[in-house]
Amino acid sequence: MSVVAQGSGTIDAIQRPKSVFQRNLNLVRELSITSFKLKYTGSALGYVWSLVKPLMLFGIMYLVFSILLRVGKGDTDFPVQLLIAIVAWTFFTEATATAMNAVAGNGDLIRKAYFPRWILVVASTTSALLTFAINTTLVLVVTFALGDLHLTLRSLFVPLFYLELIVLVLGLSLLLSSLFVFFRDLGHIWEILSLVLFYGSGVVFPLMLIKSHTLLDLAGLNPVAQIIQDLRYSLVVSSPLNHSMVSLIGALEVVPIVLSIAVFGLGFLVFNRLTPKFAESL
Amino acid sequence: MNPVVEVSHLRKRFRLPLDKSTTLKYRVTHWRSSSRYRDLIALRDVSFDIPQGQFLGITGPNGCGKSTLLKILCRIYKADGGYARVNGEFSAFLELGVGFNPELTARENIFLGGAMLGLTRAQLHDKVDEVFAFAELEEFAEQKLKNFSSGMQVRLAFSVAILAETDLLVMDEVLAVGDASFQEKCFDTFSRYKREGKTIVLVSHDLNSLEEYCDRVLLFNRGEIVADGPAAEVTNAYQRMVADHALASERDQPSELSRGDPSQWGSRAVEFLSVRLIDASGQTTRRFDTGSQVTLDMKLLVHRDVGDFVCGMAIRRADGLLLAGTNTFVDQLTVSSHSPGEMVSVRYTIDSLPLLAGGYIVQVAVHDVSGSDIYDHADPGATFHVNNLGGHGGIVEMRGRWEVEQERDVPTGAVRQTAG
Repeated sequence: MSVVAQGSGTIDAIQRPKSVFQRNLNLVRELSITSFKLKYTGSALGYVWSLVKPLMLFGIMYLVFSILLRVGKGDTDFPVQLLIAIVAWTFFTEATATAMNAVAGNGDLIRKAYFPRWILVVASTTSALLTFAINTTLVLVVTFALGDLHLTLRSLFVPLFYLELIVLVLGLSLLLSSLFVFFRDLGHIWEILSLVLFYGSGVVFPLMLIKSHTLLDLAGLNPVAQIIQDLRYSLVVSSPLNHSMVSLIGALEVVPIVLSIAVFGLGFLVFNRLTPKFAESL
Repeated sequence: MNPVVEVSHLRKRFRLPLDKSTTLKYRVTHWRSSSRYRDLIALRDVSFDIPQGQFLGITGPNGCGKSTLLKILCRIYKADGGYARVNGEFSAFLELGVGFNPELTARENIFLGGAMLGLTRAQLHDKVDEVFAFAELEEFAEQKLKNFSSGMQVRLAFSVAILAETDLLVMDEVLAVGDASFQEKCFDTFSRYKREGKTIVLVSHDLNSLEEYCDRVLLFNRGEIVADGPAAEVTNAYQRMVADHALASERDQPSELSRGDPSQWGSRAVEFLSVRLIDASGQTTRRFDTGSQVTLDMKLLVHRDVGDFVCGMAIRRADGLLLAGTNTFVDQLTVSSHSPGEMVSVRYTIDSLPLLAGGYIVQVAVHDVSGSDIYDHADPGATFHVNNLGGHGGIVEMRGRWEVEQERDVPTGAVRQTAG
């Protein structure tokens, strides 16, 4: 038995943490760090890419809207507004697109191991959130250093708007990831919807430019528009083209916020409802 | 004391859609036609308890419901009725290395695999060296998992899997992999678990290891427990069942061998399209004479380009006794896939069948060169019958040669025999 004698013969087992919450939190952390790491290993520029993409989009949009179409004319803060919006939008679209595959793409795990399935979605969102947090910090620090931020009391709401964005993204992720298991053309549908949202949320132009009141109200009711508009307003000096959401749609501002929470609730319900069918359907 | 596992009136049915409708487009264009299903009953009213400290084996033919039971026990599937309750912490190895990522290093995979078990990074930090020592992989800690051989991956996976303290250990045929010396280590671990009073459930086809390790074995067939008792008794019952089944299916069977149960295991990277037995005149048949030519004709469909692979065959007596088995690797023949969608035809010809009268089972399998990744296999039910024209007895025709010499002047009775 000389072969067996190699290496140690036993491993003393470890007691798992009593708290299931702690176990789940730990698994979320491991999975999100892994996917964050894997996303950037093997590429020469690594993490830089996740910054280059929104910056390229910013460059193009700035060129098209500000210089060619002169959309932000008379608004010196337009580039900063554009940058903040694009970073937030990039998070929204990348997080939801990745989450779509969080369940369907992990069929092997789901068929062969037990853990709460929502962990896959939360981990995918957390991984996107890491990139978003770094990008946002960079943008805020740089713009602040350049004196482009206008911090006032209303800036205190900024964390809340970011929180709303995260809640909305998580809700959509739960919804999309569970439905995608059963309806594979959801990927295409969501791509188109994202495009509609991109223009309907005034990511690259001030929402004020929408002249039709009906359309403005309609656009303003969507949470993405509200979040982006409010972020801009809370961080950058107000100008003729930069209004608070309240001044645009009045008391209706409640609607997008409630909608964000409702989307989360719906996502939670649908996900829970479909969870028992995942293992058999993948 | 409460039993560690309580299973009561457990029922599970799978609805297999006859038409795959995972797109909205399909739902929209076919909204009027109600979806058609085929019901597959995996478990019908299964009840049993496992007391603490028992080493329980579960066996049965493919598709008998044992894997479904395990998945319900591990909360992967949801039961349609009844319940399966585990009292205490449990670790399930339905497959080793679940959650491992080939792009990560061995060390990183320990943290990932450990997290899947419910262990935290801080706890695992102190264990990493111990894991590598046990797995005999100390010098490969910073190597990416994709560069590991399948044996090394299994060793790492097993070493991580046993890290978590557990009351119940559930295993699904994981022992079929790994080299002999490491398997010994695995069994040492299980023996230790047993001494420590842990409960173990082992699902296996390997009657020998069931008899060796299990206190009690459950035999499943068609979603029901058909035998429950000491290992030796139940494995005997299983062999009788296989034999009966083989004899029953031998009558009025189609000339094409059955593909086996659709729920059989295998990754299907390469799949059997058909398995036939052909006689000397090229006819597909299941009846042969002793001494006649038999060709086992297998048509394979390559789904994934796997490179070199191995195609093997075995012949068993109806009661499961292995009479002969070989594969392309052993016989030093290289079979390779080149592209997905490719058809490969493999034939094994026996010029003169040495088997005597009786019913026999043919089993075929395709797997990778190391034998750890089974792509597909076709299992019992694939029987053929041999007619014996001569008067030989036994299972094989011994092809010996008699020689008799007689000399005139020797006293009567002294006859020399020479065997060829």
